[in-house]
Parts: sequence; structure tokens; C-alpha cells
Amino acid sequence: MQIYLPIAELPVNILTILAMGATVGFLSGMFGIGGGFLMTPLLIFLGIPPAVAVGTQTTQVVASSVTGALAHFTRKSIDFKMGGVLLAGGIVGSLSGIYLFKVLTAIGQIDLTISIAYVLLLSVIGVMMMVESVRAIRAARGGAQPARRGGHHSWIHGLPFKARFRRSKLYISVIPPVLVGFFVGVLSAIMGVGGGFIMIPAMIYLLRMPTNVVIGTSFFQIVFVAALTGVMHATENQAVDIVLGFLLVVGGVIGAQYGVRAAEKMPAEQLRALLAAILMLIGLRLGYDLISTPPDLYSIIEVEPLP
Amino acid sequence: MMRRAAAFLLMLVAFTGAARADQLVTDLSEHQIAIRSNFTGTQILLFGAVEARTPGTRALNRDVVVVVQGPVRPVMVRRKERVAGVWVNHDSVTYPNVPGYYAIASTRPLEVTAAADTLKALRIGIENIGPGAPTARSIDGTVQILPPDEETAFWKALIRNKRRDGLYINVPGGVTFLGQTLFRATVNIPANVPVGLYTAKVYLLQDGEIVDTISSPLYIDKRGVERFIFRMAHSDPLLYGLIAVLVAAFAGWLASAVMNRR
Repeated sequence: MQIYLPIAELPVNILTILAMGATVGFLSGMFGIGGGFLMTPLLIFLGIPPAVAVGTQTTQVVASSVTGALAHFTRKSIDFKMGGVLLAGGIVGSLSGIYLFKVLTAIGQIDLTISIAYVLLLSVIGVMMMVESVRAIRAARGGAQPARRGGHHSWIHGLPFKARFRRSKLYISVIPPVLVGFFVGVLSAIMGVGGGFIMIPAMIYLLRMPTNVVIGTSFFQIVFVAALTGVMHATENQAVDIVLGFLLVVGGVIGAQYGVRAAEKMPAEQLRALLAAILMLIGLRLGYDLISTPPDLYSIIEVEPLP
Repeated sequence: MMRRAAAFLLMLVAFTGAARADQLVTDLSEHQIAIRSNFTGTQILLFGAVEARTPGTRALNRDVVVVVQGPVRPVMVRRKERVAGVWVNHDSVTYPNVPGYYAIASTRPLEVTAAADTLKALRIGIENIGPGAPTARSIDGTVQILPPDEETAFWKALIRNKRRDGLYINVPGGVTFLGQTLFRATVNIPANVPVGLYTAKVYLLQDGEIVDTISSPLYIDKRGVERFIFRMAHSDPLLYGLIAVLVAAFAGWLASAVMNRR
């Protein structure tokens, strides 16, 4: 069953889009990931213009992060003060990212930038997840090793503008969280991702936040940054396809329900290794496309008439 | 200048000739094509008749050429080059007047229908589109001057890309005569067709000379929900963006409400 997308300006199969949304939703429910970094490359493989894929994907990120943030809100596992600081950085990051996106589109390098960003990101996350899950599988077989945490004092404690974060039991400078938020905001605007996979490790290892507030706080930041990014992509680039976004959200919401339930029954570590392998494969494919000789060296694009 | 003069002369010949020569009567199956949510491309039928001025004479070497052309827009052609192992968009050439769609059908292949100069002057045929003066730019955006053969490579690449997208179509033999006077041609409109005002031109040729020309408009536009969404995204982008985000947020809330009830 085909439906014509008004902004992407091409017909797609409704069932394909719903199935993609459901698959990514399933994985995101199972592993607690946003899934943006899976969906955007899939949309691009499908022939959706990269700008529309990125712009539209932000609506899916909003939907899944609202669900996540609400769950953590009821468990009171959100550090609102830390979230606010991350958000302040995220807003500036998102606005800068949108500006960068516009400039790169104008000079014709946006597709390349998105591809390179994905190759780097997917290989890094893929390898990290693979290492982590292999270690966990080994630990489960050969008896658990005690988790290590490094020394408590690092260069971060020497920075100015310190503030107290009661929920996180921290007294640190606001500069690192602002920078983390900024970086994630830029990624959100250029790649259409929430950025939790970057933010969560950064919060744990860099800011040394307690793990019980990390996920909720990152969801809190992502809700607002993704919402801002979505609105900005709509106003600046006219790149949000509401029909495509709706289909992705519907598929994603349904998939996530089953993902959450499946996660309770299945061997999570083996699946995590599988997901890591999938990420590395997508990364390899995108990387191969960058270096292999394209079938046609020339591409065409409509441009605005000169004034 | 020469080209324009030649075209004018040809037109003159065509008009004076029309007084005694054969005439065209044509119509399209549709003058409006609506792109709705179920649009996956369509076909239009162009049909017509040649009215002979001197009845009974059987016309030999008579050709009908149908050209359907879409709205013109500036188009940039980019060429990739390998930079540090990665293929990067490098040089570009921008043509100011490129039709978004161009379909040509004829009774016989164009080469045998008329002389190359005639076709070129009338801009009949994909190679004769005439996209306007090109502007070449290098990767840093500075204007550069390309040798003619390189520029031609860009123009050929544009045609190749448009053909691949099904937007430039050439169907020799696509116009079929039913008996002596009636003819018909079907033209493919793909799903990725640009919107706007189209013209369907029909040329009647006799021994390689234009005898009559007729032009009819064709309007392709988004309709219904498609039109509403597209319009809103461009005229009211802030509201559009807010709605898109709020709908998504609502779906997220709904999902968590459903989860909590279990």
C-alpha cells in the first residue's frame, strides 16, 4: 500500500515504514536506546532525502523520549537541575547544528557530513557495545568481577562555576555538562538522533553521576532538545515530513511495547552483541559507500533562482 | 541571434504554410493531474487528428511530434572527486532554465523526422532543451571557466540523471496513427514529477518542415491533504513544526499511559 509523502515528495509503502518503525521501536524498547541512529540511515537507504530523514526523525525521538522521561518522572529518577544545565548546552548546540546544517546544504556537503558522522558514530558505539557485551557474557560465565570506579578527583574538579546538584549528590563545575549538552545538541541537529548513547556514558564516566538518575536525566534533556531541533528543521529547512513522522511514531510506539516485554524474557547480553554487530554492519556499509566509486559521479539538485 | 532569426523564419514559414496545408486538432485526456496521498504516477493520453486541406490526397512523409514539458527551474550538477580516499562533491555547474520534466514522442525517430538544425531551432528533443548560460563553480564556491567539452559532460550528466529518474523520456514511435488522420500518444508521468504548469506541444511535420503547431496547458499540483501539508510547511513553518512535535509528544505520552495501565 503506497502513500505519497508531501515533503519528501515520493511515494513509499506504508507497511515498510510501519515495519521499520516497529523494528527500531522494538530494539529501543529492548535496549533502552532512542533508535535515531538506526532509523536515519534506514530512511536514507530507502531513498528519503537525507535532510528530510534527519528532520523527520527528530519527531520519532521526541515521542520515544517523552515515554522514557515520563517513566523516570514517576520513579523520581530525574535530576532536573543537571538536566537544565545539559539542556542549556543542548539548546545552543542544536541551534548551532541547524546553522551548520544550512551552511553544509548550501555548499553541497551535507550528505557527506551525515554519512561520515554516522560511520564514526556507528563504529564507535558498535565496538563499545560489543566489548561491553562480550565482557558481560564472560563475566556471567566465569563469576562476576567487581565493577571498578576510578579516582574521585580529576581535572573536572579544578574548573570554575561550581554548582551543587542535590539529586546527583555532586558539587561540580557547570562547564562539563554544558559542553556535553552542546555536543549532543549539535549531533541531534545534524544526525536526527537523541544522543543518549553519547550523553549517558559521558554522565557516568565524565561527570560521575549516580547511575540511577543518568537515564531519566538524559531523557529529560532529549525531549526538549529534540523538540527544538524538530521545530527548527521545520522552520529553517522545511525538512519535517509530518506523514512520514506519524508513521514512524506509530510503528515505534507499538514496537517499543513488545521490545520492553521481550527484554524481560530474552538473554539481553547476547542480543546486545547482535545489535552491536548490526550497528557495525550499517557503519561498514555507509563507510564502503563513501570510498567506493559511485555508479554516477554526477548528481543533480534543484537550486533557488538567483535574485 | 542567428538561432533566433532562424526560429522566427521557421515560424513564419509554418504560419503562412498553415493557410493551405494540413491542420492539427488535439486534446489531452486530462488537463489537470492531482497529486493526492495515493499518487504513484500516472499516464496521460494525447489524441488528435490531422485535418487535410485537400481531401483525398494521401500524405506521405507526415510526422507528428509530441513534447510535454514541465516548469523550468535552476538546476545544479555536481561532480564528485576523490579527496583523501572519500568521494566528495567537487566542481559544479548551474543551469538557470532546466525543465523539471521533458517527454518527447514521435511517429518516427527524430533523426529521420527533420533536419538537426530545425529541431535545434525549435528546441525539439532532449539534447536541444537549451538550459541557458551555465555557471561553473569549484568546491570553494568561486566561479570558474570550464572547457566546453567538460561543460558538455555536466550537461550530459544532467540528462542522464533525469532519464534515470524517469523525468526525461524519449519515445520514438510513441505517436501512433490510427488510420489516415487520427493519432494518439501516451505519456508517462512518474510519481516524482515536479508540480507546476506544463505545456503539451504537438508539431505536425511534412517532409521535415513544420506545418502546424498546437499547444495545450496541463496543470500538475498537489491536492487535498498533500496540498494542505505542503502549503502549511512552507507558509507557516513554525506552526507546522510545533504541530509535528506536539503530535509526537502526545503519542509518546499515550504510549506511557497505555504501558502504565497494564
